[in-house]
Amino acid sequence: MKKILAQAWKEFRLFRRDKLLMVLAVLMPIVLMLLAGITGSLRLRNVALLVYDYDNTPLSRTYLEAYGAALTFRIVPRKPQESPERALASWRSRAVLIIPQNFERDFRRGAEPTVQLMIDATDSNSATALGNYADSLNTAFAFQSGVSRPPTKGVNLQQRLWYNPGLSDRVFFGTGGLGLMLIIFPALLGALTTAKEYETGTIIQAYASSLRAVQWILGKALLYVVVGMVEFVLCFTLGLLVFEFRFPSDPTILLVATVLYLLAGVFFGMMCGNATQNQSAAIQAVQMGSFLLSLLLSGYLIAIRNIPIQIRWISFFLPATHYIQIVRNSILRDAGWETSFMPLVMLLALSFAFFLLNAVQMRKMQFKG
Amino acid sequence: MPAFIRRYLALLAKEVDQLRRNRVLVVQLMLPPTIVLIIFGYALNPKVRDLRVGIVDESFTAESRDFIDALTQNVNFNVTHVYTRVEDAEAALKRLDLDLFLVIPVDFARTLHRGQMADVQVIIDAVDANTAQIAKGYLEMALQNYNNSNLGGFGTAIGPRREIMLVNATHPAPPPGAPDVQAAFLYNPGLVTSWHYVTGVMSIIMFINASLVASALAVKEKETGTIEQLLMTPAQTGEMLFAKATPVFVLMMVVLFLSLVVGMLVFGLPVRGDIWLFALAGALAALAGIGIGIMIATVSKSQQQAQLLTFFVNPPLTLLSGATSPIENMPRFFQKLSYIDPLRYMVTIVRGVTLKDAPWSALWPNLLALTVFSIILFSLSAWRFRKQ
Repeated sequence: MKKILAQAWKEFRLFRRDKLLMVLAVLMPIVLMLLAGITGSLRLRNVALLVYDYDNTPLSRTYLEAYGAALTFRIVPRKPQESPERALASWRSRAVLIIPQNFERDFRRGAEPTVQLMIDATDSNSATALGNYADSLNTAFAFQSGVSRPPTKGVNLQQRLWYNPGLSDRVFFGTGGLGLMLIIFPALLGALTTAKEYETGTIIQAYASSLRAVQWILGKALLYVVVGMVEFVLCFTLGLLVFEFRFPSDPTILLVATVLYLLAGVFFGMMCGNATQNQSAAIQAVQMGSFLLSLLLSGYLIAIRNIPIQIRWISFFLPATHYIQIVRNSILRDAGWETSFMPLVMLLALSFAFFLLNAVQMRKMQFKG
Repeated sequence: MPAFIRRYLALLAKEVDQLRRNRVLVVQLMLPPTIVLIIFGYALNPKVRDLRVGIVDESFTAESRDFIDALTQNVNFNVTHVYTRVEDAEAALKRLDLDLFLVIPVDFARTLHRGQMADVQVIIDAVDANTAQIAKGYLEMALQNYNNSNLGGFGTAIGPRREIMLVNATHPAPPPGAPDVQAAFLYNPGLVTSWHYVTGVMSIIMFINASLVASALAVKEKETGTIEQLLMTPAQTGEMLFAKATPVFVLMMVVLFLSLVVGMLVFGLPVRGDIWLFALAGALAALAGIGIGIMIATVSKSQQQAQLLTFFVNPPLTLLSGATSPIENMPRFFQKLSYIDPLRYMVTIVRGVTLKDAPWSALWPNLLALTVFSIILFSLSAWRFRKQ
């Protein structure tokens, strides 16, 4: 135990000397989490809509108002003599609404005039959503103008949105972002410090000392877990301020999970450092292994169920998958031990597995006797 | 041959030699376009499918079973559990066994037969706001179809549309009398999701890799101390800088076309515009990326610091560029901020050339901005380099 602490203290003195590293390790998670959380939103707002109103009657203008009043669309002025295709091709708008002549007359007659909506579908996801928005605006317009009536019989859905009634995606990306930050930076620090030992050759000293492999690993990990806890506190505070986090009623689950998660991250990073023995290669390995995979496959951006089955199994072996689930359980659902039990076990298993791999890598290289 | 060209060539030969020995770096450069692009393209699919639905059917009649069938007979919903008590369903939602559940009240069939609106409760786990929103939309669509077909929900009024029986899988027909919105999806009528991401990631790779590699190469000189030797030679800093940048630049252009080929072969990405514009934008982006990389290298003392700084600089550039999520969705301040992100222009041009065949009048401002940025970044890095 004493040796572990001594190793951690030595690490700390090294870490302290690198001022830039220290500042970055603390500052970067906050800045990144803020940016990722705010820019990640998938909800459409202020989409530029260009309007060609060939009818130009009171009714057609009322119809346009329905679009203008929605938060999703923002009607932009059109240049004279500009064709809709050209406007779309040059990013002047994301959608074009064309109202035909005799729109009002046909509508009053019940002839159901056709309105054309041209959508820039380079971003197919937004395009689909825009089409659906326009449909519901259209139906609402028909009901309001009294031409169509909402059904009086049939089934009515009473919707309740639990845990996030305002459908705010800030909470969602904020909690995911917390998980992402806490895997990137501890893993990165772990990888850097280990690879550096190889590059400068100081690893030989560790081999030659009476320190055992396990002690060396734990001592190094201890410091970076502490650094990670500082990052956790900062990110959580940011979450409270910006991302509508709530204090879970039982914070112990979250704390236990965080420690396990940080351990998994640091051990993973050290594993990369051991394997590559070169700082820039280690960073690349961490970038691929922890950042990219966690970003894509941990349920941060897209639900795990939607990932193609061929690569979905990978997400099961990512610590981030389980941690993000625990964070969301604790902060948003306020769930207890029962819900978070399996993810906790998985976190424990993963961090232990990474630790074992480290120990094996190191043991091979220790001097005998 | 003028002296400066001779010196440049000598320096270039040295850089190429160094790069050739550094196999890891070359692999690092070639790997992302192939692997990352494919993973991104396949994994980032925001379509929501297979939502797990629980049912609490208190009515337990033929009508209620009919209703459940009508709602869940598509790929979007999967009835996984049937409960007898609401409390059980609630617990399951809390355990994450379900995404949503329906509660059909006891008097469901009776109310329907009386010709009134029957209320059905649906509870959705809204932690993932986007998925919840989409699930809501699916439900409403399925419900509207049910009301239209099974019960003639909109009364007996028959509009012209009803007579030809417009059958549309994704949209239920609007109520009779309402205008018909005909949506035309331009540039991507098949709504292929991967095109958007692949073009975005392609641009990101150009930038991030160029800066990463350039900073690694430049700082290495500093770390090993050979920079002193370089500074002692008669070579000018400008020549040194160009000699350093040239091999990276050439490699990045290879990466650019490699990623385009991967996009075309694997994802069927179309190239509708002029390819030379694409190449030009790629070249400018690579220059800007190299500029950023060298600037980072001049600031930092070790490779460790340089890599960390690139880690600090690149994600904001990526997030603000609109490569993965549309810029319009961001708060206004961040939209303004995105104008000083050179990557934004690169993404726009790449999409404009491949997907859109955008007119020159729309492309040149982006090209100009990108040029200005790469000139500024490159000369700033030259200035910093000289100051060492």
